[in-house]
Amino acid sequence: MTNMIKTESVKHEYTSHTGKSIMALNGIDISIEKGEFVAILGHNGSGKSTLAKHFNALLLPNSGTIMVKNIDTKNEEMLWEIRQIAGMVFQNPDNQIVATIVEEDVAFGPENLAVESKEIRKRVDEALKAVDMYEYRKHGPHLLSGGQKQRIAIAGIIAMKPECIILDEPTAMLDPSGRKEVIDTIMKLNQEEGITIVLITHYMDEAVNADRVYVMEDGMLVMDGTPKDVFSQVEKMKSLGLDVPQVTEICHELRKEGIKLPADILTVEEMVVELCRLK
Amino acid sequence: MIKDITIGQYIPADTPVHNLDPRSKIIITFVFITALFLVNTFFGYIYILAFMGIALGLSKISPKYLFRGLKPLVFIIVLTAILNIFMTEGEIIYKLWKLTITKEGLIQAAFMCIRLVFLITGASLLTLTTSPIALTDGIEKLLNPFKKIGVPAHELAMMMTIALRFIPTLLEETDKIMKAQMARGADFESGNMIARAKAMVPLLVPLFISAFRRADELAMAMEARCYRGGDKRTRMKQLKFEMRDIYASIITIAFGGLIIWSRF
Ligand SMILES: Nc1ncnc2c1ncn2[C@@H]1O[C@H](COP(=O)(O)OP(=O)(O)OP(=O)(O)O)[C@@H](O)[C@H]1O
Ligand SMILES: [Mg+2]
Repeated sequence: MTNMIKTESVKHEYTSHTGKSIMALNGIDISIEKGEFVAILGHNGSGKSTLAKHFNALLLPNSGTIMVKNIDTKNEEMLWEIRQIAGMVFQNPDNQIVATIVEEDVAFGPENLAVESKEIRKRVDEALKAVDMYEYRKHGPHLLSGGQKQRIAIAGIIAMKPECIILDEPTAMLDPSGRKEVIDTIMKLNQEEGITIVLITHYMDEAVNADRVYVMEDGMLVMDGTPKDVFSQVEKMKSLGLDVPQVTEICHELRKEGIKLPADILTVEEMVVELCRLK
Repeated sequence: MIKDITIGQYIPADTPVHNLDPRSKIIITFVFITALFLVNTFFGYIYILAFMGIALGLSKISPKYLFRGLKPLVFIIVLTAILNIFMTEGEIIYKLWKLTITKEGLIQAAFMCIRLVFLITGASLLTLTTSPIALTDGIEKLLNPFKKIGVPAHELAMMMTIALRFIPTLLEETDKIMKAQMARGADFESGNMIARAKAMVPLLVPLFISAFRRADELAMAMEARCYRGGDKRTRMKQLKFEMRDIYASIITIAFGGLIIWSRF
């Protein structure tokens, strides 16, 4: 397997306008493989967004290195290649759409990459179909729902032909149906197109589908493993100020009452199977 | 309420006028406006009317829609009429205390009002038949030759695009903040001008803060999508002059010639 993103003891320090400095990242070592679906969890202010912005050179580390497909993000000459390889989707869909027509917005990235106009047309149509928004291509973005806008933002990244997409709380401002649309789109891109996904989220049920989960606290990675490994440690997650999926929590309470269930139940289906087996 | 404001009221359709290259349309509009100011007799307006008529007929825009655009500007038209009627010297027809109405004044007022109406409807016809995107693209392309003398063509076009993109978003937000403050007892509708202006301050402050935050996030998102100014950019839709642009130019040149000839 090849590395998509690899960091070595990355540190990042912000100085606020009062002159106080905050260590937002305090020695991060992470390596994300090509085609992997990674979820990053952590409570507010733990440094998730700061880390994400390091993955496509929107921020540079104070010390340590970040390699994106073996390119050092400090290499200024390769800046645009890095941003093309690692695309980024932000939390607020309204503040990342540039143009007044959906298809024009999707074309924005490839236009910046100086792709030829016929090829842009092709990529825009493909990207809009991939997120299931093709019939909205002539609409104004302000007339779309939050979930649709976020899918347009994702299409805008896909049209740049990235190998990795970093999504910083893409569902935080959406309603449940919008969240589902976006998560389904992300999963499809990961499974069908083999695009590496880094998903930052506060919703534990979104992390359940990941190949690997990382938990951040005070600028450090404090837990990592498969969703089953991480979420089965209910007490530790709670002490970090995080929830576990609802089913896992119920299971944890039942286990405390002495009912013999495995600790790593993440979905309702698994729970049903295990409960039926008890009799 | 505030959301109902529409700008750049573009009406999409598939007509020769809609399909004209935006650059042609912008230049034709300029020629039209120049011609309008060259006309010096009522008779000259016949040419203008004919030209407008052809354009309007081809564009299939209902005249009613065109005249609706005049509504917000009625005040300016009336003011122009009043100023011209009372301020022009000449043969007095009617005297009211210190104000006099002259024959020349009436003629001048009619002349100026017709000019204004043509000016406004002509410009509306451009925005009614050209999408904001095509318009900004056209402006960018037309300004490109002036880049050498420091006209930031691409930046201006980008600014216009972003402004157009964010006007609905910011209007929606204003609406939201207004409702939130009304729910807490704010009153935007009663009181005199000063009281109302004061009531707007708590509305504008959060709006400005949010606009700056949006600008910051948008800049970050644009950078993440490899935006680095206009130099190396390509475009998905390229502007292209077609046969119809040539026909339109011929008609416009003929029209311009007629206007100049009518002055002698
Ligand atoms: N531009 C900045 N200037 C100064 N401090 C900052 C800046 N951005 C973030 N910080 C600080 O850095 C720390 C990490 O912030 P970051 O935004 O990475 O957290 P996060 O995990 O993304 O939080 P959230 O879940 O709220 O999005 C926080 O303490 C925050 O206050
Ligand atoms: Mg964040």
